[in-house]
Amino acid sequence: MPKYLCMQRNLPGGESRKPSPAEMQEMYSKFRAWQEKFQANLVDMGGKLGAGKLVTESAADGPFVEVKELVGGYMILSAQSLDEAITVARAFPGLVHPGSGVEVIEIRTA
Amino acid sequence: MVEHFFRHEYGRLVATLCRRVGAQHIEVVEDAVQSALMAALESWTVSGAPDNPSAWLFRVAHNDVVGHLRQRTRRRRLLEQYTKEAIDTGEKGSELFLAQEVQDDLLRMLFVCCDEGIPEPSQLVLALKTLCGFDIREIALRLFISEANVYKRLARARSQLRKFPPRTDGPSEAQITSRLPAVRKILYLLFTEGYLSSHAETAIRRELCNEAIRLTSILAEHPLGQTPETFALLALMHLHAARMPARQDGAGGLVLLEEQDRDLWDREEIQVGLALLARSAHGDVFSRYHAEAGIAAEHCLAPSLQETRWDKVVEFYSLLERSAPSPMHKLNRAVAVAEWKGPAAGLEVLDGFEPPTWLVRSYIWSAVLADLHRRCGNAELANRYRKLAWKAAPTSAVKQLLQHRLQINKQTIPRYG
Repeated sequence: MPKYLCMQRNLPGGESRKPSPAEMQEMYSKFRAWQEKFQANLVDMGGKLGAGKLVTESAADGPFVEVKELVGGYMILSAQSLDEAITVARAFPGLVHPGSGVEVIEIRTA
Repeated sequence: MVEHFFRHEYGRLVATLCRRVGAQHIEVVEDAVQSALMAALESWTVSGAPDNPSAWLFRVAHNDVVGHLRQRTRRRRLLEQYTKEAIDTGEKGSELFLAQEVQDDLLRMLFVCCDEGIPEPSQLVLALKTLCGFDIREIALRLFISEANVYKRLARARSQLRKFPPRTDGPSEAQITSRLPAVRKILYLLFTEGYLSSHAETAIRRELCNEAIRLTSILAEHPLGQTPETFALLALMHLHAARMPARQDGAGGLVLLEEQDRDLWDREEIQVGLALLARSAHGDVFSRYHAEAGIAAEHCLAPSLQETRWDKVVEFYSLLERSAPSPMHKLNRAVAVAEWKGPAAGLEVLDGFEPPTWLVRSYIWSAVLADLHRRCGNAELANRYRKLAWKAAPTSAVKQLLQHRLQINKQTIPRYG
């Protein structure tokens, strides 16, 4: 099955409130349920992105880009089609809501 | 994952870390614990939960706190001395995280919350935040106050702890003894917030009651907390909580005591309550908690409303009024007397009584008077109070209850749960 790169994107509009312990527990339960349901589609659970640099040939120092301002985290799924990958990604708890979305991109191997 | 694991782990970690670094650093501790739980959420979903989740969380939170404190420039040398020790013990963190130590830490935190310099409303909010692990929004929801209000009360408590940090080696025995009444008061308040809550969701109400029972149980297990008043308090909590399933119908409406399905009462929990009541009957002590537990026990033991030993209930209400005088207790005694000796006797209890404004305005006062007057045949007075009760009803559930009750034309008397 083809693979898809999923990248979490912060979007304008949407409050970022710290979850309470009770809310975190709920999120954890939902994560586990999601992982179990879509076991067959999980290739690489990836993780959050930290500091990085944009490497170009133009300047010795290179401009420094906070990648995590653009992309919060990533994971790699396998699915029969882009639509299926989208279905799986969309079901990921807390990923798609006001202020956050996910970019689902096919990884071309051939 | 165990129910309420994250929330209870928050409480355990805050308590233990506050003991180690001092409660004056409570904000740093709370931030670190919050971060550790978030880190767990991210890491455990990807790599699976560790064998010892509590130890994992403790290590992460502990390192965070130590790192934070190290950054502070004031009293740097003292902190370096501490952090050096802390790093050494940090490695052995998981071994030190024993069950008994955690219970002691929780109890100690409870005593910290009940500091004499912290006003009672702030004590309750601090306990809900640190021991129960609720956040500001959740506390506001449960106490029916604004988030700004919660924040203010919390700030007041934290300010007190910063200015007058608790002793590093814990409260002295004298301090513990003098603070016990305040600790019980807060636990009682926490319980009644759940039990008497007008929140629509049973789960939320019951959860608060369970938190109160959990913390009071910890108090009751500690040698210094094992007093008759504590056992009476824990008894009344169980005896009330056991009957909660019958107090609301499927639609979240309130059910009159006379119509409650006693089969829904938790018999096992009633036994637990009665055993605790027995334990509390030692020594010369008789507190308001004893009186309230006694009343609850009479209800729990009665097979039906009609078979309730109202003479005993009245006796307990008299004792309650004496140990904790309040207009509400007087009103409840009047209701019990009416059960025992008839509505006229009930009215007699209230004869010449000038209730405070807050009680006059409450639906309960009007509803009781409407009921007593109706049963005495005073139709006009009954009508007047009926209208007042209806106007003063705070929620639709209460309105429905009143409508139901005040239209019933029975000889028997309604109890309001």
